[in-house]
Parts: sequence; C-alpha cells; structure tokens
Amino acid sequence: MQRRGWLGGPKPPKNPHSLEHLRYLHHVLTKNHTITENNKSLIVEALRSMSEILIWGDQNDSSVFEFYLEKNMFLFFLNILQQNSGNYVCVQLLQTLNILFENLQHETSLYYLLSNNHVNDVICHKFDFSDEEVMAYYISFLKTLSLRLNEHTIHFFYNEHTDDFALYTEGIKFFNHSETMVRIAVRTLTLNVYKVNDHAMLRFIQDKTAAPYFSNLVWFIAEHVRQVDACVRANVNHQQSDRLRDIVAEHLDHLHYLNDIVTLENNMLNKVLIDHLLHRLFFPLYVRSLADGAPGDDNEKPLVNSVTALFLLSQVFLIIHHETLVHQLAEVIFTKNLESLFITSPIEHKELLQQPESLEKLLSSRKLRKKTKNKKRPNFRNLGSDEEIEIKSSPEPDAEALPVGVSSEFFQRQLSIAASQTASSGSSLEASLGSISPESHLDRPFLDTIYSALNCTENDYTAIFALCLLYAMLQNKGISCELKRIVQLGMGEEEKRNESYCHWLIERLLRIISKAVKPDSKIRLATLRLTVILLKKLGMKNGECVLPEHHLTCVEQSRNESMQNLQKCLQEEEMFLDIFEDEYRTFMNKPFNVEYLMMDSSLLLPPTVTPLTGIEFTKRLPCGPTEQIRRSIGVFLALRDVSLTFCKEVETQLPLTREQDCIQTDDKLDLNNSDLIACTVVGKDSKNRRFLVVDLYQLILVEPDNKRLGWGVVKFSGFLQDVEVSSDPDDSRTLHVTIHKPSGTRRVPMLAANFVFDDHIRCMAAKQRLTKGRMRARHLKTRRIAVLLGVSPDAHDDPFSSSYLLNSGYQAPRSQFRAFAEPQVLRTDAQRPGVALNQRDLSRTPTARVHPLLKRPGHAASRVSPVKSGGRIGNLGLPLLSSPSRASSSCSSSSDEKPTSSDGDVIEVSAEVPDESRESTPKPEIVVESNPEVTSVEVVTSSEDSRSDDNEEVNAKMVPDDVAVEVTQNETETETSRSASINEIARE
Amino acid sequence: MGVGKSCLLLQFTDKRFQPVHDLTIGVEFGARMITIDGKQIKLQIWDTAGQESFRSITRSYYRGAAGALLVYDITRRDTFNHLTTWLEDARQHSSSNMVIMLIGNKSDLEARREVKKEEGEAFAREHGLIFMETSAKTAANVEEAFINTAKEIYEKIQEGVFDINNEANGIKIGPQHSPASGGAGGSRPRQQADSGGCC
Repeated sequence: MQRRGWLGGPKPPKNPHSLEHLRYLHHVLTKNHTITENNKSLIVEALRSMSEILIWGDQNDSSVFEFYLEKNMFLFFLNILQQNSGNYVCVQLLQTLNILFENLQHETSLYYLLSNNHVNDVICHKFDFSDEEVMAYYISFLKTLSLRLNEHTIHFFYNEHTDDFALYTEGIKFFNHSETMVRIAVRTLTLNVYKVNDHAMLRFIQDKTAAPYFSNLVWFIAEHVRQVDACVRANVNHQQSDRLRDIVAEHLDHLHYLNDIVTLENNMLNKVLIDHLLHRLFFPLYVRSLADGAPGDDNEKPLVNSVTALFLLSQVFLIIHHETLVHQLAEVIFTKNLESLFITSPIEHKELLQQPESLEKLLSSRKLRKKTKNKKRPNFRNLGSDEEIEIKSSPEPDAEALPVGVSSEFFQRQLSIAASQTASSGSSLEASLGSISPESHLDRPFLDTIYSALNCTENDYTAIFALCLLYAMLQNKGISCELKRIVQLGMGEEEKRNESYCHWLIERLLRIISKAVKPDSKIRLATLRLTVILLKKLGMKNGECVLPEHHLTCVEQSRNESMQNLQKCLQEEEMFLDIFEDEYRTFMNKPFNVEYLMMDSSLLLPPTVTPLTGIEFTKRLPCGPTEQIRRSIGVFLALRDVSLTFCKEVETQLPLTREQDCIQTDDKLDLNNSDLIACTVVGKDSKNRRFLVVDLYQLILVEPDNKRLGWGVVKFSGFLQDVEVSSDPDDSRTLHVTIHKPSGTRRVPMLAANFVFDDHIRCMAAKQRLTKGRMRARHLKTRRIAVLLGVSPDAHDDPFSSSYLLNSGYQAPRSQFRAFAEPQVLRTDAQRPGVALNQRDLSRTPTARVHPLLKRPGHAASRVSPVKSGGRIGNLGLPLLSSPSRASSSCSSSSDEKPTSSDGDVIEVSAEVPDESRESTPKPEIVVESNPEVTSVEVVTSSEDSRSDDNEEVNAKMVPDDVAVEVTQNETETETSRSASINEIARE
Repeated sequence: MGVGKSCLLLQFTDKRFQPVHDLTIGVEFGARMITIDGKQIKLQIWDTAGQESFRSITRSYYRGAAGALLVYDITRRDTFNHLTTWLEDARQHSSSNMVIMLIGNKSDLEARREVKKEEGEAFAREHGLIFMETSAKTAANVEEAFINTAKEIYEKIQEGVFDINNEANGIKIGPQHSPASGGAGGSRPRQQADSGGCC
C-alpha cells in the first residue's frame, strides 16, 4: 500500500514501446536510487523493460536512444552494481546488457553504449561467481561482447595507453572453470579476440598474456594426458570406460581449440603458442614417451605409456595441419633420438610437472609490476620476456607444490639424467647431427617404436595406433614431401636407407594382412581396414600401382586365402547369405573414417573379445563362430577391394542385388500374364485390398493402375529372402507374413501383416509361392556368392550345383519385369602375379549374364506401352480390374503417360534361360502375336516344367505400329546361361 | 538473418517479453525453472550462434549438452536442407543419449512458407527426432518445444540412461532443498539451441 503512494508520479504509459516508457523508467530509477529489499522487483522489472524499449527504439525510433544518451542512463547500471545489490538484480542487469549488445543493429547505438569505458567497469566488477547463475550470465555477457569485436570496436575494449584489455584478461581467468559451458565460452571469447586484426592489441596479447595463458593451457592439457594414461592403466578390464571417454574427448577438444588458434595464422601469437606446445608438451611428453623401452635409455621413464603416446600423437596429426607445428614435430619423430631431442628441447620432467602460477596471479602481478615499471621503461617487449623468465625460473623443487604421485626417487633420477645430459652434451650434439644420416635404425628410437608396433607380436593393440599415426602423417598437409618420403615409397631414385624404411613398411603392412587372414587371427577388422587404406596410399601413385610384383603376389595370396576360408563357411552356415549381405552393407555404407576411429577411447584399452563391453564389432575380436564368419567376410571384402584397386578394376559383382534393379514403391508394372493373387493385407491399423506378385527376388503388392488396364502400381516391395510366412491355425484363408528390413543386426520388420485370401486354395498357392520364392531367391544369391568366392559350379559336392537345384524343385530365374542381374562386363583377365588363371576365372565369372534392358528415362520396355485393348487376366483367372468404369478411364487417359518409344529406337529385351536346361531345353518358341494395336512378343521356354511358374514368361509389348520384330538368339555368350535377346526395331 | 533461435530462447526464458510484430529480440543464454513430474528442474539454454566458424566450439557444445534443439526456418528451404549436416555433426560429437528436437520456426509466416510441415515430420521420423513447428513471434509451441525436450531428458534420467553423476553429460543434481516431494532434488539438464544453418 505504502509503495504505491510512494511511487506516485507518472504511471507507466499504456504503450511499452514508446519514448514515454523510457521516460517513465528513467523516473523510476531516479526515484529508487538506493536498492532495498522492497524495491528490488521494481528495479528488476525496470532493467528488463529498459532492454526491450532500447531495442525497440534501435529498430523503430531513434529518439529513444537519444534520450538514453542525454540522461546518461548507463550510470544507473553502474550505480546498481556498486551497491552490491544481490545476485537477483545482478542477473537481470547482465541479461539486460546481453540483450542490448546482442540485438543492437545500428553501429552508432553500439558505439554510444561502449564509449566512456562503462562496459569495462562492468567487466571488471567482482560479481559473486560462486553463484552458478551469475557465472553463466557473466560469461555469456563476455562472449556476447566478444562476438561484436572488430577492427573498430576493439578500441573500446583494448586501451593502448593504459594497456588494459579487461574483456580478454578477465575472460581467460575462467579458462579452466569446472563448468563445461563456461570453458567453451572462454574459448569462444579468446578465438574472437585473436580473430581481430589489430596490431597493437595482438602485440599486447603476445607480450602480456600469451606466455601465462599458454603455459597454463599447456600444463592443463598435460594434466589431462596424464589422467588419460592413468585411466588406461587402471582400466585394463574395461570398467569405467565412461571416464576414459570423457577425458579423451576433452583432450580432443583441446587439440581442436589449438588448431583453431593456429589456423587463424596470427604469426605473433602462433610463435609463442607453438613454442609452448612443442617444448612443454609435444616433445617432452608425447614424443619422449614413444621411446619407452627403447635400448639405451634404461634409466629413463617416460611420463606416459607408449601406447597412449601413439594414440595422442595420431590425434595431433589428424587434427592439426599447421605447417610450422606439425613439421617440427614430425621431423623430431623421424630423425631424432632421446639425446638430440633433449638438445632441441631442454626441459626437465620436474619442470613439466610444475604447475604454472594461476592465471589470476600472473595477470594481476603483471598489473602491479606495470604500475611500478611502466613509467620508467614502457617497453612491452622487455616486460613480456621478464615474465617468461619468471615462469621458467619459478619451479623450485618444492615437493608440496607437486601433484601427488611424484616420488623423491623420481627427482633423483631426474637430477642424474640432467647431470649426464650436461656432461655428454658435446657428444650428443654430434650424435644429433649424425642422426640425420644414420647408419642404423637405432638412432631413431621414436620411429622405431612406431615400426616395431606394426609387428603385431601378441595382438594389434599398439599396431592400430602406429598405423593411424603413419596414416595421419602421410595425410597431413603441413608435413613436407621430403619428410614424408622417409616413410613413403619414393617415386624417383631413393637413397638406400630411406628405401629400406618404406620397403620395411610395406612388408610390415603385408605381414599384418597375411596375419589377419588366418582363422584365429588376433588382428581386428579395424586394424585390417586401416592397413589396407595405408597400403593403397603407399601403393598407388597417380592412379597407377607402384607395388613391385612380389608384393602384389602377397596381396593376391592373402585374398585367395580369405576366399578359401569362406568357402567352407558358405556350405556350413545357414545364415551365410544374411551375414554376407549385412557385412557388405556396413562395409559400403560406413566408409572407414580414421578421424572418427581415433575419437573412440575404447581402443586405448587392450583388445577384447566380448561384445558385452559395448565395443563395436570391427574394434574387437570375434566372439563365437558366427562372428568369426562375419569377420572372415569383412577380411575378404577388404582384400577384394584392395586387389581390385591395384588391378584398376571396377567392382561388378557386388552388391548381389543392386537397388536400381529392384522394383520400388510407385513403380508401374505390366502385369499382363503374370500370376496375381488377390488378397486383403491387414496391418496394425490398415486394411487394404492388394494383388500379390512374387517376382524373382521380391514380394510385391500392387494396386490396379486406373490408367492402364492390366497394369499395377506397386504399393509395397520387399525381398523374398527376408520373408517369413506361416499359416493361421484358425483361419485357413489367412497367412501371417513378416518381411524384415535388410538393415543388419536389428531385425526390424518392414511389414508385418495378415494376408487374407479369397479361399483356402488361393491361400495355399500363395504360401507355396512365397516359400518357394524365398528359397529360390536365397539359392540364387548364395550361388552368386559361391562364384564370387571361386567355388566351382560344377563341383559334385557343391550344394548349389545345377543338379542339386533341379532336385530341390528349384526353378531357374527368369526376370519378369526387368533384367535383374547386373550387366556383366566381359572381363579380360588381367595377368596378375601369383594367381592361377583358372582360379581367377572362377572368381570372376558371372553367374547370370543378362543383357540389361536398354532403358531410357521411364522407359523400360515392359513399363511403357499403353494397352488399349481389353484387360488381360492373370494366370489364376483373377481379373485385374474389377470395375468397368476404371477400365474405361484407363483407355482415355493415356495422355499423362510418359512418352513411349519413339521412332527408330532399338529396344533390346533379354531373357535369361536357366542353365540346367542347357542340354535338354529345346529352343525357345517365339510367339509373335499380331494385334492391330499391341504387338506382343512372348518367349516361352517349353521345358519339362511347363506348368507355368510365375516367371516363366517374358513379355515385351510394343507400341502400336511396331511391325518388324527381329529375334536373335545368342548361344555363345556365356557358359552358365543362355540369353535370348529380342531386338525390336520400331518403325513408323 | 538467422532462423530465430535466440528469439525462441528469449521467448521461453523470459515470458515478460510480449511478442510484438515490430520488435525482433533475442538472447544467447537463458535459464528457467520448470516443473516436471513434481520436480523442479532448472534448464540452462545456450545458443551456439556465431561460433560456426570454429570447429572446436561447436564440437564441445554438443558434448556438454543433454539435449539440443535443431532449428530451421520454414520460410527458407536452405535452412532445412542444411539439417542433415547439422544432425550428422551433432550425432557424431554428442553422446548417443542426447535428446534432439527438430523445430520448424516462424510458423506464423504461413504465406511465405517454403518447407511443408509434412517434410519436417518426415525428416524427424526418419532420424528419430521429435518434431514441432513454433513461432517465436506468436509464442506458439515455444513452451512446448523446450518443455517436451526437457521431459524427454527427464525420462531418460529416470530410465537410468544418463549417468547423473557425470557432469560431462550436461546434467547436474541440484541442491537438496527442492520444494518437490523429497529425495532427488532438482536436476538441471542443459540444453543447447542449435541452428539449422545461419548465414
């Protein structure tokens, strides 16, 4: 009650978006100069309204902002801050500022707001950062400001004369805050600052803050690395892998951040950063750790495991491509040894472990010093170097300041090393110079660690990282070719020592491959695929294979071995087809991405077998015989791929069914003379009348096409091989049909429905057709795999030989609608080393050779011709069209049809004739029906089984006016199939 | 011109801003308390705006959040076309548990619509996202969009999918003095508003 009277004065205007409203707010804030418990909410609301009216004014009415400036209303904000009015008010104040700085569109408004240094006062205000909400709003405020930085606005924040840059120096104090989002905001802020091209400001950053900030940053990264290592050591049993995952991801974040900084190409800054990174992190920690266990450094214990080091270095080379940085790093790895490394980068371990003084301290001490020294010696450069010295000299052997776990023994060791290093520094200098042209590998312990990891003595635990590292280095744009050549197969004349290295490498890779092919191999699929990628990279130069003959032979031998392994499984494993196709799908759809692979922390733990760890299949060893087969298939596919690449051949046999050959939903099919069974498909919440068609590979549900008689529109299609069908025990007219999605591990049904037929007979016919169709489709595909694996089709014990198929009631495929099998290119078998010709023939011989339909857009011969005469009837005597009105509409609406074959087109229709009928089948009868409007050509094979299986006929309908039909028969083309091709020449 | 993420965010976190047609206003960060299942939950929402050029930043955002709103502008097809890239990025860098909601914003501009609602629905279905069309201008569905995302996160917490003791997931258990019926206290899922391509 009291409030209202006290407020008095003007009432808030009706329209909150008007100058009057701002006047009113001004009045309120003037009246409430002192904040009390009572007027708190009023102040908060005034602050909120202020942001709203100012943004409205900025967008609509300039007089609003003029009033704001005239009254210098920013002072209200500062007044509120100075009163320490509590977090509730502070949060609103910060949010108001956030809104202002984010939404102001006019530069002049922005400049006015930024002038007078008021914003810097807000930045420097000591908020209550223990309140996480205040913290979040404050850091967002800094981030929002940083997003507005450019060459013009920078001067409002960075004061050249007083050498102040509060936005930056206050911001980086939170770089290691416990909240992820705060850390991210700080990184964003720093990047936005570094992006601004202002010399004086960057000089300030370099001289005054770079050393403290980067030394802190680097130290915390090193801490992370040690945590990763500790986690790996403690985690041999794959427990708590979450923790490992988080810190590995954190390390990756750091590397990406560093990469974002260096790619800004800010030379002054990069110099300091790269120096810190190389000499305080990469050389002494990452690279040194590589030499774990190398001869000659028994008393040297690296800080992390060499496996961890390999992993971390591959991440570095995958992410950072900055030339100066990666080149120096790679050079050290390739050419130096421990002693020469120490000369390049003389940093003691204890110095590394010493945490730099906190940023807050470092930055404030700078300020103090500035006050004392600045007047006398305003030389920023000198000041900067002072600090650097300070940091370097600060670590005294103060045991308490060291992280836990550093024993005094460690110190002693360090000291003795230091002593020996100084003593031998003269000789080691020579050694380091000599190491550039070494006589033996011993002088390159880091490179040797990488190479010996490739040996895969027990398993591929370290090998996978070594492969990754080599891949990342070869891939890295920042490393010069000369340096890469040390590990690469040189193109021109190579010095012997280098060549021995690359020969060595290729031989190691081939050895990994040959090991991977062995049935009980300890090589994981991921490792193999990485090996193959690396081998391709080294073996292919400008599209040509540069591998010597004997190496190619090795590849082919391994491929053959993997084929032989699979041949056995093909006969034994019932699920082989499914596993094979699934594995092929994963192989193709998930291209191997090394960067993603290196993001997976689970690789850091020793390889495991059990899938219970949740580790992806390719990254562990197979568990049980089924996975063993899956693995063998994966090996085969990878080796087939590399073999094809080296021979410069294109894959023609895989996938077993190509998508474009399949019938899709909404396709229109000519179903004249096809077996159709009408049924009602009852799904979960649908009920549709459909016609069931069983094709070569697919189950198809169609609906009559109301435009063309005898045609159907596909409403659903699924693979017969994935069909499960069972009769309903209670209703003899119903079948339960389930079709699984061909998507691999999870069996998701793409259709689960009841098919209700008109009567029991039709129901049984449908069931038989589906069951047989499924078997046939699976046999057909399995036979293709057999050919792919080089199984002889004539072999007696081959379950897929023609006699077996005949006896099992198997019907050879005939494509009903379109040619299904892929167009087989006759391959001239390249003479390849080490492969017997007959083996090659077997593996490359296509089973079914069918001429593809000569297609034009929307123009498969069987899909285009308009049928104008009466409806044809399916084999079971079911009329396709039940309603006469529809039939008549189909006659009249030919206008929306796609263009039919035009003059002079040659359409070739091919029909495959089953190979089992090679000897016994008489020549196909060619029936040519002449009809005024439709010319129908039917190829009927009159084999002993002429009870008209649904695929027995191939229809090719011509557009009217086609008169001449030429039929040719091609008997010579393949040994397994015979094609009858019908060439039709359309004429006027 | 953006897709309106920051406007959505302001609309949700501070309802005192009445949407009016002659004012475009947004914010990059906001926090708000909501109640789900009788439990007080504080949502912190961070906008990724302006950081697109730094890979390290977008990457880390994904990891630190429990949920994300993937926003496109229904009046600009290009923002819809970019969704796949954004989603791929989000999926690659976040934990598989992150709840992602697809938002078609600016549903008030029906006349200028370039992306049909059905298309958004289909995209969401295909990628297993929750979908909603919103308007920061009329406040339509804004509340629902954020609260439904929070609910989804909450359910996942109940199912034990999220490890609530691991703050890296973007979830933190609040202080125990929650007014809600005893026990767990308010958790604080963090969300991230993400852009469907700003240019």
